[in-house]
This record gives sequence, C-alpha cells and structure tokens, in this order.
Amino acid sequence: MGRSDETDRNAVMLEDVFSAARDEAPVPSQALLGRIMADADDVTRARDAARAAPVRRRGAFAAIAAAIGGWPAVAGMATAAGAGVWIGVAQPPALSTLTGTMLTGTTAQYQLEEFAPGYAALVSFEEELAE
Amino acid sequence: MAFDDAQAVSDEALLVAFGNGDREAAQRLTARLAPRVLGFAVRSLGGDRAEAEDVTQEAMLRLWKIAPEWRQGEAKVTTWLFRVTANLCTDRLRKRRGVDLDSVPEPEDHAPAAVDGMIAADRVQALDRALGELPERQRQAVVLRHLEGMANPEIAEVMEISVEAVESLTARGKRTLARILSGRREGLGYGSQ
Repeated sequence: MGRSDETDRNAVMLEDVFSAARDEAPVPSQALLGRIMADADDVTRARDAARAAPVRRRGAFAAIAAAIGGWPAVAGMATAAGAGVWIGVAQPPALSTLTGTMLTGTTAQYQLEEFAPGYAALVSFEEELAE
Repeated sequence: MAFDDAQAVSDEALLVAFGNGDREAAQRLTARLAPRVLGFAVRSLGGDRAEAEDVTQEAMLRLWKIAPEWRQGEAKVTTWLFRVTANLCTDRLRKRRGVDLDSVPEPEDHAPAAVDGMIAADRVQALDRALGELPERQRQAVVLRHLEGMANPEIAEVMEISVEAVESLTARGKRTLARILSGRREGLGYGSQ
C-alpha cells in the first residue's frame, strides 16, 4: 500500500472521528445554565444599582480646590501663606537688613554676614587667616 | 421563557439588548452559546468537565459584563467569546502544568477490542485522548476548525494569529492525530486495510 493510500485512509478515519465528536458534543447541565443566568441577573442588578446611586455633590471648598488645580495646589498655597506669616512675625536678620537698609537708600557696603549671619564665623576665620 | 433559540436575531443584537436590561436576551444567548463554549473548553482542557464548566461560566460572566459597552458591527460575539475561553483554558493549563503533571491520564494501550463492540463514544474518547497529546495551540486550532466548524479567518481572530499560522497548526495537528489514531485503527473499527 502506498503512502498516499495510507494518507487517504487516515483522512477518512479522522473525518469520521471528528463527525462522531461533533455529534457527541458536551451538553451543559441545567445547573450550569442556572449559574450562568444567575450571573447575568447579578450583573444587571449591579448595573441598575450603579445607575440609581445619587451623584455626590461637591462642596464649595472642594469646587474651589478643583478650580485652582486640586489638593496639591491648595497644599502649595497653604505652605506659601504660612511662610509669609512666619517671615512677617520673626523678621529674620537677613531680611531686616534688606528692608531696613538696602531698600531705604543707604549707600553702605554690605557684607556677606549681614544677609547670612550664619556665615559670620566663617568670614572672621578667613580674615584671621589672611592676616 | 425556556432556553430556546431564535436564530433570526443575531448574537450581537441580543447582547446589546441584554446590555439594555433585556433578561430574555441573556437566556437566548446562554442557550445558543454556552454549549459551544463548553464543548470547546472540555476539549481544550483534555476532557476535564468540571474545570470546563467553570471556564464556561467565567467566559459568559465576562460577556455579561461587557454587554453595555458592546457596539454592533464592531466584532462578532462568538469570536470575542471563544478568544476569552481560549485564554482562560490556557491559564488553567499553565497552572495545571505547574502542580499536577503526573495526574494527566496516560493514553491507553492499544489493547485489541472486539470491532463489533466499538461505538461512536469509543471513537470520541480516543479522539479526546489523542487531542490531549497535541501541543495546546495545535489542539485549539483543530478543535475550532473541525469540531466547532469555524472558518480559518475567524480562528485566526480568536487565536490572534495569521490565517497561514492557523493552516499550519491545523495541518500539523491533524497529522499528529492521524499518527496516534492509526495505531488504533482496528480497535476503533476501521479495519487494518
């Protein structure tokens, strides 16, 4: 028997087996069909509930926050406002030098430590070394 | 309404109707699609009926969930559903490979059986066992083509590969099936010649 005969016989056998398998396809049980429909009902109920839920209204403050860029923007503004109050109350030396002398028209030469008092010790040390 | 079927209405129209709250549409879709999904899942999973039922339920659940977003004309429901089913089966097979490889039933010996006693169920059983020996993608392609009767272009969409790849997978799958089953030709009642 030739190879093509063998191939033909196998093709016929396969088609026959496929046909038998198509005729004996698994049938879903009533229990499975029931579970599938129960899922469909659950999905419908959940969808209806989502549609029926009232839309939450946004408060006035939340609306303003949203208008200026959301809560991160509000946090930034609050930090800036806090820093402003602190500067006004504490009046750091560098700032009082700036506002009390530079901006009032004196012609004096300013030293580093006037704006940054923390560097005063460093400046003195450098001067000692220079001597 | 019973689980009947009205072929006049397309799957897509029924799914849109269910998305709009029509329960009867879901019943008709279930009656129409669940048997096909189950058949595909059973054979993709090597005959594990319980696992195939779980896959069928999960695939149908995903169909219900996507219903409100479904637009007619964009895709075929069967193509989408079989793709979901194929992916679910693949996931299960991967998990199974990791845990209970040894529990996969070995193919039976080619024990001689009386030809007269052979019935179609034996041939189907032999086919299921032979399908179980195919690589997963070959098995899916063969089942979709020869048991589900899908055309190659639709199988290509389901499996997300080219039509040429589908042709190659089914051809190789059939060659392997023929080789496996030819050893049992007599036992399956086809004679030795």
